Amino acid sequence: MPLSDLLAPNAVFPSLAVTSKKQAIQELSAQAASLTGHDEREIFETLLRRERLGSTGVGGGVAIPHGKLPKLDKIVGLFARLDTPVDFESLDGEPVDLIFLLLAPEAAGADHLKALARIARLLRDPEVAKKLRGARDAGAAYKLLTATAASDAA
Amino acid sequence: MENIGSANLLILVGAALAVLGVFSSLVASRIGAPLLLIFLLVGLLAGEEGPGGIKFNDFYSTYLVGSAALAIVLFDGGLRTRFAAFRGAFYPAISLATIGVVVTAVLVGLLAAYLLNLSWVEGMLVGSIVASTDAAAVFFLLRAGGQQLKRRVAATLEMESGTNDPIAVFMTLLLVQLVLASGQTSVGVIAFSVFREALEGALVGIIGGFAISFALNRIALPSGLHPLLVVASALFIYGLTVTIGGSGFLAVYLAGIVLGNRPVRAFASITTFHDTLTWLCQIAMFIMLGLLVTPSKLVPALAAAFAIAFFLIVVARPIAVWLCLAPFKFQTSEKVFMSWVGLRGAVSIFLAAIPTLSNVPHADTYFSVAFVVVVVSLIVQGWSLTTVAQKLGVALDDPAPSVKRIEIDLPGQLDEELVGYPIVEGSPVVGHGTWPAWAKPVLIIRNEAILSPQEAGALQVGDYGYFLAPPQRVERLDRLFAPNEGYIDEESSAAFPFKGDVRIGAIADMYELNVQPAEREMTVAELFDSRFEENPRPGNRIDFGHARLVVRELADDKVSEARLDFVQEPKGGFAPIRSTSIRRMLGYPKRLARKVARNSKN
Repeated sequence: MPLSDLLAPNAVFPSLAVTSKKQAIQELSAQAASLTGHDEREIFETLLRRERLGSTGVGGGVAIPHGKLPKLDKIVGLFARLDTPVDFESLDGEPVDLIFLLLAPEAAGADHLKALARIARLLRDPEVAKKLRGARDAGAAYKLLTATAASDAA
Repeated sequence: MENIGSANLLILVGAALAVLGVFSSLVASRIGAPLLLIFLLVGLLAGEEGPGGIKFNDFYSTYLVGSAALAIVLFDGGLRTRFAAFRGAFYPAISLATIGVVVTAVLVGLLAAYLLNLSWVEGMLVGSIVASTDAAAVFFLLRAGGQQLKRRVAATLEMESGTNDPIAVFMTLLLVQLVLASGQTSVGVIAFSVFREALEGALVGIIGGFAISFALNRIALPSGLHPLLVVASALFIYGLTVTIGGSGFLAVYLAGIVLGNRPVRAFASITTFHDTLTWLCQIAMFIMLGLLVTPSKLVPALAAAFAIAFFLIVVARPIAVWLCLAPFKFQTSEKVFMSWVGLRGAVSIFLAAIPTLSNVPHADTYFSVAFVVVVVSLIVQGWSLTTVAQKLGVALDDPAPSVKRIEIDLPGQLDEELVGYPIVEGSPVVGHGTWPAWAKPVLIIRNEAILSPQEAGALQVGDYGYFLAPPQRVERLDRLFAPNEGYIDEESSAAFPFKGDVRIGAIADMYELNVQPAEREMTVAELFDSRFEENPRPGNRIDFGHARLVVRELADDKVSEARLDFVQEPKGGFAPIRSTSIRRMLGYPKRLARKVARNSKN
């Protein structure tokens, strides 16, 4: 599954200004709510519940907060680059500035995991991360994310 | 003069056979055959119908040497068993060792009576002779395959084989009496005798074990005599128990367990000595059994014996296993595997010698059947054991890394042990450059020069480091010196960290992992404890199909953080090299195997 299936062009935020992990998740929850039409509070709490099990910061300045929303009808992703990196309690302790938020329906099964694995691998690629950090507008970032994902799938 | 001549000849032949046995291990590792089978074959070839032409029909000596050898093998098995391993294995093992033996004996007995035209009592005698799994074979084949099985499965099988001999021996003796006298015995008397045998065996064994450890620690012996004291005491315990009518095999097994779990002086030299001694016992036992058999005498009962052997493997043992393990939670794949490891061995052949020694009619038949059953079991089950374990998924995904620890005995020291390690690429000690405060560096060997820790500075790959450490912590030290994949691939992989106190159920729901119901309530730390014998190390992993949990960090020996990796399809990339047959074959002499593993990593 290419990332363009789950990431809409208007779900990319190239310079989000937040000061904490919580604020970052809150901000992205609000954006996800307006994109999907689901309750912002529910999304926010789902994501926080997941963070309580262990941080979704996978290292290298990348975080992939995710969770399951029962009423969702397909997997939905949002990408944001933070203006200033925030502490995310990551594996390697590095502050995070690349966040890919992923919401999946209850019954997404293997697709959910494949999407997570694909996103994680893509963003942990130092080349991709470097280009994403340099991308100044949403269109460029979107192209980077979806283009590389397509070649990755082949 | 003739006596002296025959004594000399006996020494010559005996030694030649032992040497042949040792060399045959090379052949065994080439073709991957169970070593015990090769020993048996050497005996057969040396015997009266092989090229060797040695006439050996002394059932008495076989019984004598065999019992002593088996006692030592069992003692050694106990010595290497940690108490912690018994958690959850005790009751299943006891169930298999009692009910399981009776069920197997009765099922096989009925078939044997029918096939061999024997009375049902005689049939039962055949059944009880082959009813118990063989400790020598089970310990040997489970541990020698170069793999580690799930703790509970391995512990149950080992404990079963260590404790089921008394009841099989008892049933055999009882049925021999019944056949000879057609006497009347009540069920109560039988039950009581079994109970008494087991109780006496347990008492003598446990007291004996404590006595040995007391003697080792309190009496100052010249160095070199400690291992001898231990072996002699083990045989004494066996002899004493058998003489008072108890189960000697149970006694030595328990004595070994007690001794192995207590702090004792010179433990390093004792286990080293036992490594060698156990080999000698295996060689002596199986070569002797091979010698004893006259292949042509097997022919009349051959067809029936094969039928019995296959019935035992595919019907009787599985029924017994399913029946005995019904009250306990085992997965089907685990039960299939435990049925498959119903290995028969020397015990059955010894038991078959009892009818001959007691002049029971059809004694040859019993012996033939037992021999064929053992050979079939060794070939069919023994040979395929490693493959079956991997196919059924009961082998650990991530066996303990092979660390080459050098142990040096410090006479009179209980609190400290001197251990040495080669410093290898990718080990945590190289990564961190530090070690715990309780491990005191003594000397470092670098480029063939002996350096003090101050002179050496930081450890380098290729060094040998020698440390003083408390014996109970040495295993923790092992981890620091093990080449550890967990540290290497972390940089490039995508993984989510989870804290040790997170419930497995919560993770399983989130990622739809295949988790057994019983494991859902466990925390991450508890799951690793249960899968890795209370001794998880960084890099240990548990596979859940499309994802796996890998230990990242420990605090106080418990997993404090694990990461969840997503396995990319196809899964083939993760196929362990150790499943290739050559490595498996080389696994038999375990020291050799460790060396090979290390060399191939460098």
